[in-house]
Amino acid sequence: MAGLAAETQAAAAAPRPPEATASPAPVLVSVENLRIQFPPWNAPVRVVEDVSYQVRTGETMGIVGESGSGKTLSSLAILNLLPPPARIAGGRILFEGEDLAAKSQAQMQKLRGRRLAMIFQNPGYSLNPLLTVGAQLAEILKVHEKLPRSAALQRVEELFRLVGITDPGSRLSQYPHEMSGGMKQRVCIARALLCHPALVLADEPTTALDVTIQAQILDLLEELKQRLGMSMIFVTHDMGVVARIADRITVMYAGQVCETGDKQAIFARPSHPYTQALLASTPRIDKSYAVDAQGRRERLPTVGLAATPGQSLGGGCRFAGRCPEAVPECTRLVPQAAAIEPGRSVHCLKRGSAGVPGHG
Amino acid sequence: MVDNLIAPAPEARPRAIRKPLLSVDGLVKSYPLHRRGLFRQKVMGEIRAVNDISFRLDEGETLSIVGESGCGKTTAARSILHLVTPTAGAIRLGETDVRATFERDRRPEVLALRRQMQYVFQDPYLSLNPRWSVRQILSEPLRVHGLVPPAQWDGAVEALLERVGLPAEHADRYPHEFSGGQRQRIGIARALAVEPRLLICDEPVSSLDVSVRAQILNLLAELQEELKLSYLYISHDLSSVRFLSNRIAVMYLGNLVEVGEVDEIFARPRHHYTAALISAIPVPDPTHQKPRDAIKGEIPSVVRRPPGCVFHTRCPAALPICSQQAPPLAAPDGSHAFACHNPR
Amino acid sequence: MTDQTIASHVSAPKPAAKPARGIWRQGWQRFARSRTGMLGLVLVLIVVATAVIGPFVAPFDAQDQSPMLDPGAKAPPSWTNPLGTDRMGYDVLSRVIYGAPTALAVGLGAMSIAAAIGILVGGVAGYRGGTTDEVLMRFTDFFLVIPMFVVILAVVRLLGVAVVDTPFESVPYLNLGVIILLIGVFSWAPIARMTRAEFLRLKNQEFVEAARCIGATSGDILFRHILPNALPSLIVIIALGIGGAVLAEAMIGFLGFGDPAAVSWGQLLYFNYQALKVAPWASLSPGLAIFVTVLGFNLLADGLTDAFNPRAKN
Repeated sequence: MAGLAAETQAAAAAPRPPEATASPAPVLVSVENLRIQFPPWNAPVRVVEDVSYQVRTGETMGIVGESGSGKTLSSLAILNLLPPPARIAGGRILFEGEDLAAKSQAQMQKLRGRRLAMIFQNPGYSLNPLLTVGAQLAEILKVHEKLPRSAALQRVEELFRLVGITDPGSRLSQYPHEMSGGMKQRVCIARALLCHPALVLADEPTTALDVTIQAQILDLLEELKQRLGMSMIFVTHDMGVVARIADRITVMYAGQVCETGDKQAIFARPSHPYTQALLASTPRIDKSYAVDAQGRRERLPTVGLAATPGQSLGGGCRFAGRCPEAVPECTRLVPQAAAIEPGRSVHCLKRGSAGVPGHG
Repeated sequence: MVDNLIAPAPEARPRAIRKPLLSVDGLVKSYPLHRRGLFRQKVMGEIRAVNDISFRLDEGETLSIVGESGCGKTTAARSILHLVTPTAGAIRLGETDVRATFERDRRPEVLALRRQMQYVFQDPYLSLNPRWSVRQILSEPLRVHGLVPPAQWDGAVEALLERVGLPAEHADRYPHEFSGGQRQRIGIARALAVEPRLLICDEPVSSLDVSVRAQILNLLAELQEELKLSYLYISHDLSSVRFLSNRIAVMYLGNLVEVGEVDEIFARPRHHYTAALISAIPVPDPTHQKPRDAIKGEIPSVVRRPPGCVFHTRCPAALPICSQQAPPLAAPDGSHAFACHNPR
Repeated sequence: MTDQTIASHVSAPKPAAKPARGIWRQGWQRFARSRTGMLGLVLVLIVVATAVIGPFVAPFDAQDQSPMLDPGAKAPPSWTNPLGTDRMGYDVLSRVIYGAPTALAVGLGAMSIAAAIGILVGGVAGYRGGTTDEVLMRFTDFFLVIPMFVVILAVVRLLGVAVVDTPFESVPYLNLGVIILLIGVFSWAPIARMTRAEFLRLKNQEFVEAARCIGATSGDILFRHILPNALPSLIVIIALGIGGAVLAEAMIGFLGFGDPAAVSWGQLLYFNYQALKVAPWASLSPGLAIFVTVLGFNLLADGLTDAFNPRAKN
């Protein structure tokens, strides 16, 4: 109990997100020019190409993209949990002064669970069905902090209370299958926070949950952000979720970054054509869609969305195949980051980016 | 009498007077719980997946049934199509008594009925036979119903592909060669092959990428206008529901809790669950400040249904009567129905 | 700049060769990449070739005991008798060659019978479910637990005694036919179980529901939807079964219960194992032939498993 209270106090005194203080918080994680590839190695498939972003302490970076955008792979790379045969083929991941991309599995194992934690998409799959939840989480404390069993279970119970699990003491002896989806995800969040990590990665933690439960979990994450000053990387495909939970946003498409910046700015003034298309084409519950006298309904704008994906993993901007503003250079040159506002950058030749010839 | 309560209000949206196409009265689907003895099975209780729901769908309109997992919306759809056998209730499609037709099981009647209502599945991969080419998949309904002589099947298949926005050259490919959105188009094309009047769509865009959803939703809107289709749209995704529907029905744990015109429901939800559902959806707009109608707790198990109003265990406005007496689905003003003792 | 113009320049991220469209051709391509599978196929083809062409090119006839005179019985391999001669003066190579069609007849014949019964029983059980399923599966269990060899040996013995002085005595290869029939009858149970499992799995798949929704009849669904999707697993288990049937027949022959009119590798072992020390080539040759055949079919089944259940790419 003392440990957690002290931690909460310390976190409360920690640097706050940019709008609260004059100087921005220090950078916690810096992903620089990350490249992830799949075999065959003589002509590798470049699933993540030259991705860079930064996460500051106490901030939540929302990574938005569809399937195939590389959002999950780039966050798994931070933990060095890439599914074989994928491998990091270039770039650096700077965390607490070290390059995580250069570390061995043994070195990473010391960091995972302690300084870096992860919450997965499907809580049912990431919990061991044969152990009680108390036992599984206590095990983590035994390994990382060498706590005796009773002390470990006590800490687990504290964390259950923190994440809003009712009747935490009796839950310790429950099995995952005895819990609902929302409850299991709370257990997973508790598991991530066990050793007070510096950074939490959440990979679509609410996608597999019902709508009302999703709202509860997002409420919980927001509350934990405030109370603990948590730094988080939140990966999702849902623009609505990222509008709630994130402070800054990075939009990805087909392994490349489209734009990155402050959440308010990106939603108010989306710059990259992909972001614009995505925001325009998403149906909204706060909008009334008109039906005229003949019963004809207005359509959703689908500019920038091809019927058959003309996506390439080759050179140049990978959105060029669908982009309504593309010019021939777009397929040859890879757009670099261009600063359009303080704290915002976009990767688009038509928005002022310089272009670098890409791989064929 | 339930018919009148939940019919669409004629003045609500400007459109021609329509005839009712599908009417469902008192639909119940329950699964008995067995305890296996050595020689006999004792019935211990039942799971009521669908608990006495009634609604009407008019020609040319889209009625959406929304709810979270376990609410019974998919079971209701399957019961209407007789993919599962309903336990009780009356279902009429046009003039036809659906349940009676399936029970008599005379092939010409059953075929004629199947032609009129079709199903679009949620998973665009699992619902297509992986060992059949697209041509075979789309020819099957033509063959079964004898709509077109075999010599003209190829032409019909190509016309179907064009209608759903796929190139006709792809007819000889296999499902795994297509993207999710394209497979869903194939599924829609298959449903359209028999020229149905009613299309029941079960979460058709939920498993698709965000940027593909808009195209499929537009396609559904287009097809409805071109072919004068009626949709029963099942989903938990309220934003696509808002786009496509004329009316919405909200289900919770097997019960209908609210029915009404779409704009009305979103603007003034009367049932607390509907309000919670709407406010739980995150809106892609960080400046959007809406009051959170939070509800506590988890969805109760279908096996142990709460007494009285099914929602009272989680309702922020529950009264003592709510745990004793189930509120009836009633519409004081004729077109917006809800089942609540203490509505908003 | 429309979607079409740019899209036509960029291509989907697929490996170099454009994959063939047909499902079976794609399966073949995957199979060809499996080294064990290809090896198995080669071995099986060798055996098949031997069975088909062998009898025409064998140096000696099946019943020809002339090597007894020159170079004599139990002679080591030489130019005239590449695998030597055996205890009774037969040329080992020729006898091994003539054993191939017997082995294949047993393997393919027995498995045809087993497949026909097994798919029928398992398919009906899996599709119908309920009491039909229970009854059929208990019936299948019965056949799973019966000791195959004991029964076959007993039947063959009794048959041998029973047909004396009856018109059946002159039926050619009656003994072999009965052996094939019995091996088939005792091998259908695992196929039935696999078929039932596949049918159970497939009958609840969405594309089957979709077919029902379209209005397809049960027959349509069974033969056009479910069976083609169940075939891959069944083919694998049948391939394994062929190897097993060959082995079973070899054991029956080795125990001396084989058909005296037919040349079978097991029988060759039966005739020659007593001379193992002085004429090992006479036992090793048919032994090796059995080994190659069974191994071939097993590796083939391995390769087919890989071909029909491709591991996820990437």
